[in-house]
Amino acid sequence: MLIFSRYTWWVAAMIGLALFLTAASQVGVLSPFQSAFLRVVAPVEDVINGIFTPVANILANAGRIDELEEENRALRVENADLTRQMTENEIDRERLAQLEQAFNLTGDTETTRVAANIVHRDASAFAHVLSIDRGSDDGIKVGMNVLSPEGWLVGTVYDVSGSQSFVRLITDSRSKVNAQVLGSETDGAVHGGANRTLSFELVTGDVNVGDTIVTSGLGGNYQANIPIAAVTEVSGTAQDLYRTVKLEPKSRVSTLSTVFVLTSFVPQRLGLESD
Amino acid sequence: MRGPVVALLVVFAALLQVTVAPLFPVRGAVPDFVLMSLVGIAAYAGARPAMVAMPLAALFTSFTSDRAPGLLIIAYLPLLPLAFVLAEANLPLSRFVQTMIAGVATGLWARLMLSLAAFAQGAAFGVGDLVFIVILPGMLLDFMLVAMAYLPFRLIGWNAQPVGLQRGGWL
Repeated sequence: MLIFSRYTWWVAAMIGLALFLTAASQVGVLSPFQSAFLRVVAPVEDVINGIFTPVANILANAGRIDELEEENRALRVENADLTRQMTENEIDRERLAQLEQAFNLTGDTETTRVAANIVHRDASAFAHVLSIDRGSDDGIKVGMNVLSPEGWLVGTVYDVSGSQSFVRLITDSRSKVNAQVLGSETDGAVHGGANRTLSFELVTGDVNVGDTIVTSGLGGNYQANIPIAAVTEVSGTAQDLYRTVKLEPKSRVSTLSTVFVLTSFVPQRLGLESD
Repeated sequence: MRGPVVALLVVFAALLQVTVAPLFPVRGAVPDFVLMSLVGIAAYAGARPAMVAMPLAALFTSFTSDRAPGLLIIAYLPLLPLAFVLAEANLPLSRFVQTMIAGVATGLWARLMLSLAAFAQGAAFGVGDLVFIVILPGMLLDFMLVAMAYLPFRLIGWNAQPVGLQRGGWL
């Protein structure tokens, strides 16, 4: 009985400690300790990441050789088409610049990005978070958009310390992004789901498999026209109020090692994304 | 000497949790290396080191994952009391089975707590998602990891320690 009472005291002490630490973390008391801890363990993390990430990549791609070869062939064709489009875009851009100059228009469209290495990943069924090695010392602020090296939306910064930031990914269940179908007026909200899935919800209008979904900029939390994902499945009929649309993110976060924080975009936290 | 080893083990587990664990998901569940380290400490170092290691593990894991430290303490809290109750109940269970039950049940509780915390923060999911994406794969993972962590030590002749507090000099 005495032993049980010792455990009872310990459980009570732990509950008290849990409440204390929760309050302490809310007011930021733990932040200096967290920064110091992360600095000390950073070399060990590099070693662990260096060992296990290649192993995970091999395991993830094992048994997919045929699929990867097919994907490679399709990508070569797409690459040739994109190269052609890029040339056309370059010509269009030059013409646009000439027209802007002729009509005395100034376009403030320059974006600045900060490259950051992924340090940690925290993944569970409903949470998908990563930390990067850039923080407020590098100009990172809460709410800034985070992109993959290819320019696809990865997530947003939700917590910042001096040398490190935490990013909530779009596949996190708590993430919502106002979005639209590229090249159309169809809009809705991209919502992270269980098991790191993505869906396009509250869709009003036509959407088809293969469409690209981009940020709409509504709400002020995301810069407009950042590509997010491609539509992989559409279910429901035109009579349905809202159709069910499944998406596939174009950036594989599990194999990413670098991301870019869009520092030129100042978010206006107007509410749709729940942090 | 045992104190620093336990502390290092806990730090290493917290790092594995945010570097290695997300690379090997089973449906929505990822291996919980922090829980496995606590199970190992309780089983082979005894209850008292585990009582100190648990809040440290929660704190270090919160530093690396940015989860609330208080939530992690609550998540791992049932391990020792449950192991103690099982040991004191005089059930016809081997120490391995007792460790397995305590580890898997605590893992179940921990995943439930973390999911409910995500729900409270705005994650939308149904009971089916919780059961089939989190709970069942998580229990399977915990079962496999406890067995993998426990049996090698048993094979080299190390016996699991009792979880009563008298071993730590509390009586």
